[in-house]
Amino acid sequence: MHVLELERVTKLYGDFKAVDDVSFAVQEGSITGFLGPNGAGKTTTLRMILGILKPSAGRISVFGAPSALEVRTRIGYLPEEKGLYKKMKTWAIVAYFATLKGLDRHSAKRRALELLERYGLKDFAEKRTEALSKGMGQKVQVLAAIAHDPELVILDEPFSGLDPVNQQVLEEIVRDLAKRGRTVVFSTHVMQHAERMCDRILLIARGKKLLDGTVAEALRTIPRRLVIESDDDVASLRALPDVLAVQPAAGNGTGRWELRLRESSDPQVVLQHCFARGIRLRRFDHADPTLHEVFVNLVGPDAREASFR
Amino acid sequence: MRYAFLVAWREYAENVKTKGFWIGIFIFPLLILISFSAGGWLEKTKPVRYYVLVDQSGKLEAPIEAALERLQQRKVFEAFGKYVQANARHEQGRTALDLEKVPAIDPEKFMAQFADDNPEQVERFIKEGGLDAALAQARGLLRPDAPEFSAPRRAFQRAPLPDGVAADLAPAELAEALKPYLRHEREVLVDGQPAELFAAVIVPADVSERVVRPGTVVLPGSEQAGVQYWSSNLADEDLKDEVERACDEEIRRGEYVARGVDAASVREVQRTHVPFAALDPKKEAGEEAVSMADVIRQWAPMGFVYLLWVGIFTIAQMLLNNTIEEKSNRIIEVLLSSVTPGELMMGKLIGIAAVGLTMIGAWIGSLLGILQLKAGPEAEFASELLSVLRSSGLLPSFFVYFVLGYLLYAGAFLAIGSLCNTLKEAQNMMGPIMVIMIVPLFTMAFIPKDPNGTLATVLSWIPPYTPFVMMNRAAADPPMFERVGTLVLLLATTIFVLWLSGRIFRLGILRTGQPPKFMELLRWVKSA
Repeated sequence: MHVLELERVTKLYGDFKAVDDVSFAVQEGSITGFLGPNGAGKTTTLRMILGILKPSAGRISVFGAPSALEVRTRIGYLPEEKGLYKKMKTWAIVAYFATLKGLDRHSAKRRALELLERYGLKDFAEKRTEALSKGMGQKVQVLAAIAHDPELVILDEPFSGLDPVNQQVLEEIVRDLAKRGRTVVFSTHVMQHAERMCDRILLIARGKKLLDGTVAEALRTIPRRLVIESDDDVASLRALPDVLAVQPAAGNGTGRWELRLRESSDPQVVLQHCFARGIRLRRFDHADPTLHEVFVNLVGPDAREASFR
Repeated sequence: MRYAFLVAWREYAENVKTKGFWIGIFIFPLLILISFSAGGWLEKTKPVRYYVLVDQSGKLEAPIEAALERLQQRKVFEAFGKYVQANARHEQGRTALDLEKVPAIDPEKFMAQFADDNPEQVERFIKEGGLDAALAQARGLLRPDAPEFSAPRRAFQRAPLPDGVAADLAPAELAEALKPYLRHEREVLVDGQPAELFAAVIVPADVSERVVRPGTVVLPGSEQAGVQYWSSNLADEDLKDEVERACDEEIRRGEYVARGVDAASVREVQRTHVPFAALDPKKEAGEEAVSMADVIRQWAPMGFVYLLWVGIFTIAQMLLNNTIEEKSNRIIEVLLSSVTPGELMMGKLIGIAAVGLTMIGAWIGSLLGILQLKAGPEAEFASELLSVLRSSGLLPSFFVYFVLGYLLYAGAFLAIGSLCNTLKEAQNMMGPIMVIMIVPLFTMAFIPKDPNGTLATVLSWIPPYTPFVMMNRAAADPPMFERVGTLVLLLATTIFVLWLSGRIFRLGILRTGQPPKFMELLRWVKSA
């Protein structure tokens, strides 16, 4: 069942297309990574999903409802720019957001204290939020977003600004949610997180959807690379069916070559070929492609341009 | 609606916890208490003023001294009157009074002597032996545990001429010699103690020849030829006025004598008067007399206008501040994923209104409380004010105008708050509203004088001014048509402003960057 569906959604700001004809669906109980360079339209898309912004065109359905506000108690949201009321006590702010999501005051307080204790913020529960560090404040906000145990959790850049230990904690929180059948959508530009955690990847740039699929599918979009070093003639490798191209690699002076292989091909074939032909190898490097490479490959030129615009 | 109340509850709970709120609550009763007792307190803490008096004519010294003595006696008389009233036995005039000790005194009459400080009574007080005699007479009237009476300090004390300044110098030279003392560069010696010289009075030898009569041509600068009063403190005019009056009186007395007029009869003539009453045609027969209560009724609304103004402004400002806080802290986005902008706005309006009503309620409550405490025979003003507040419709109309006025201005402030990211930006946009809001403060004092005049009527029909001006006119019973009409217009305007700011709020609240230009705003309102 689809928790969330976007159909040809477009958002215009004057003539500028912040989001351009984006469609996708999110499966219940999945973790979806929402990737894209700065200014790609991620936050705008998430805001439209939450009903904070209205799309200029297209249809959004959340739990079957046309506006997220109708089902707001089932959604938790952590915005990109995070803020707390400075003068409020930590537990009170978590509880306040939970009551806004339908919890009664009493259970909201209990739940807030419980979450703060579980995630190591017990000592700060009675302190005002201005006493929190930036990272702690962010953790508090994540807790505020999930305090009402929502079925769909939307996190905008949840990892930015957290130290490695707390990034780990946050990863655990997200995994826990998914384990209990909750659906999580989060945006990030740290590819390692997406690669480790996501069932599905959604990549957008300049408002357009570039990629939508599982991590494995995403990785398959770029050819495999193989780097070899040899003083012998390697031209015969070009004849292999799995080899797309053989090019001199950077620092070719020592006979270094870069081979591009067909996706899902086995590098062992190249190795066997070299043995058979008596090509002596000083080096044989093959690396699985990473999401990072996928990202750079797909949006590299765009992202660069965008950042200097 | 549930969500709006949740927002309202948070606004209320959080604002009520702030220091500013409690300071606001307590500052007002404190100010009232201070203003009730400040007069006496200021009088008590005022230092003794030392003056030197050089009378080269020998004619005015005695009258001036006598006048200042009378001034002091009058103060003693007033203080004694208050003392007797505060400490009299409650069963006055009944059997409890020990008649043996006060054989010749009717307590009612005795008390009445001190009820009013008209000159004749003060005169009699002095003539009958002053404080000592009065104290002796009053002894039997007082409660056994009454504290000792302490007479007020003398406000003005004569100091001798400083050493080295001769009394027979020419007035100009004398003034020159005294200047360092008057500028407080040097101090005079009073009973061996150094003291600051407050003033110097110099009467020239030929003062009688300087008298100005009708028909005398007064040349510019010739005033200085008469009595000179020197002081570097020009704000405290009591001494100056008293000396001037004493001089004039003495000179006039001389004139009467010179013209063969009997000075005593003149004085008596001056004290005759015809009964005069100010009456109000709207009152029942027998009650037409304009009492203190009527005067209070006339002016009390002004106090309420001020309270209304301060109250509305304080809490609308509060609303602006925390809207900007939510915006600049980016809390707004989480909020908007939970509540609609409409619910958020309504919640904030209600929550802050509750804060304001709590504050105003505490103010009025403490005002009534203080009046209740102070009310009594010796505080006629407080008791009259209290009964005016209780009887008239002032409080209900204050409530109605407060709520409507608040909603009107709060709507505008919320719209501004939603457009700005910092308080500074907001202050720039507030400019025009401030200009509009300042007007009722200016007209506040004029309107009671002509409460149903053109200015008042016209302003009443301008909705941003309706609450203040109609409150101002409340005592004058404006025509029913105006009261209802302006109220309906105010209500309609308030609804319109709230609707408009709702649209601006919805678009502005998520916006970052520069506040929009006016034309851009118009487009928003149309498109939202």
